[in-house]
Amino acid sequence: MNAIGAVMYREYKIRITSLMWLFYDLLMPFAYLLIFGIGLDRAFTSGVVVQGSLVSYNEFFLAGVLSMACFGIAINTSYGFFIDRDNGIFYEFLTYPMTRGEFLLGKIMFNCLTAITQAMIAVALGSVVLGIPVRWEFFPLVLVGVSLGTAGWFFFLAIFALRIRRNDMFNTFINVAYFILMFVSSMFYPLDPMPAWLRNASYLNPITWHTDALRYFTIGVGEFATVALEAGAFFVFLVASFIGAVKTLQRMS
Amino acid sequence: MHPHNDTAIAVRNLVKIFEKRNSTPVRALDGVSFTVRRGEIFGLLGPNGAGKTTTIRILTTLLKPTGGRAIVGGHDVQLSPLEVRKQLCVVLQDNAVELYLSVIDNLKTFGRFHGMGRQEVQTRMDQVLGLFGLDDVRHAKAIDLSGGIKRRLQVAKVFLVDKPIVFLDEATTGMDALNKRATLRAIRDEASKGRTIVLTTHILEEAEELCDQLAIINHGTIAASGSVETVKALGLGFLTLKLEFAKVPATLLKWLKSLDPLRIETKGSLVEMTISKETNLISLLSRINKERTITSLQVTGASLEDVFVELLDKQKGSLA
Repeated sequence: MNAIGAVMYREYKIRITSLMWLFYDLLMPFAYLLIFGIGLDRAFTSGVVVQGSLVSYNEFFLAGVLSMACFGIAINTSYGFFIDRDNGIFYEFLTYPMTRGEFLLGKIMFNCLTAITQAMIAVALGSVVLGIPVRWEFFPLVLVGVSLGTAGWFFFLAIFALRIRRNDMFNTFINVAYFILMFVSSMFYPLDPMPAWLRNASYLNPITWHTDALRYFTIGVGEFATVALEAGAFFVFLVASFIGAVKTLQRMS
Repeated sequence: MHPHNDTAIAVRNLVKIFEKRNSTPVRALDGVSFTVRRGEIFGLLGPNGAGKTTTIRILTTLLKPTGGRAIVGGHDVQLSPLEVRKQLCVVLQDNAVELYLSVIDNLKTFGRFHGMGRQEVQTRMDQVLGLFGLDDVRHAKAIDLSGGIKRRLQVAKVFLVDKPIVFLDEATTGMDALNKRATLRAIRDEASKGRTIVLTTHILEEAEELCDQLAIINHGTIAASGSVETVKALGLGFLTLKLEFAKVPATLLKWLKSLDPLRIETKGSLVEMTISKETNLISLLSRINKERTITSLQVTGASLEDVFVELLDKQKGSLA
């Protein structure tokens, strides 16, 4: 536990050296909701239908924005491996008295706290400023959801960040992953009216599982049985990615 | 392998083969064995690519050996890597500092990783900052420091914590003479407190001055090992001449080289050459003096560098 605390302390120290990062990390989801969300909300004045329920685009997009923020934090954290490698500190870390798993957990736990804080800001401001009817009774589950989402995506991306040696190749990989995972999902639009190929592909995407769960817990849209299945699938994805990331780190030895 | 209680590190028949797709496997270590006792300063010497860093990386659990066994601080590097890591701290060959953190935050985070409390870090930090001349830059971010100061910070970190075994891979690289002195002094002090220090260096005078025991490694095998005196004794067949002239023009150097010494080097007006003991010294000196007047002369036994060069040459010959 001390080792995880030490990694968290290090992540915190690094993060507070840049106020811009702090601003980006904490306010980005709400800023996205405010600009992109309002834009589409005005474009689709009649709202969107999600599994039989009619909701405004802002309501629909809140979960998408939270899910996107988790993915964004995970990208930044996994990109940190490249910065650490360039600084030469990465291999020194691997000689510190901690397991590879503790290293990965410590790295993401601080960022989960960031994700929780930004979710609190986005949901609270979304409710107050944009009038999104939030299901507050499920709010703790939203916070659990953003933590698990951030961790799951970090472990998944860490596998690639550790395996890919070239910065530019990782950037290309991230751009492709970003494009496919975000747009072939329920993040920006409901899947019901989509063509079958896009809908089916989207249901194979962990971002859809994560976003659907967050949508259910924020505004109550969706069926519990489906959401439970999707949440379970995402948890399996998280555990598999964690094992994969630890094994990749061990293989680097 | 049953290491004695006073054994800090025991390495037996260590083999490391690097396999890469579409290229011939590289045998970086080929049966390396040595023992380091507690409280000893042990030098691992060798030319570039000899296998020094590979050995250090295996002993610090960064690499897995292909064969053989290594025990560090009583634990097997393959079976109990975490227990091994609890016993050691390392200065790697590459610069390793947190560029966006200040000098003191670098030390604080390092201390935290090694289980030190806040108060303990604070007390030790002031000592270490003074010892490595980092007091004036304590609040500066590492990214703004020169290469030499970054290296000092990296070395200072390992003296902050109190781990029984310290690995220093080319630790003094990039340091100025003053800081190099301070670092060597700190290494000696730490060893006298009972810490075991394993260092690799290219600077043989440094090794000669510091090390209790050393091993010369080349092409992944140990070419010689033992105390500095033992290794130097391997070069008993040599003499080193230090000749001073008023001036050393290129023509003189060329002429001296024509005498076929085993090694020749110039530093200003000083010429250092190594010759075989079988050479008629009096006749040689008389010939040199006739060519150009020798203003001062010193004759010594072989230096560690002579032995090092000779051993590597011999290995090269046997491989050819």
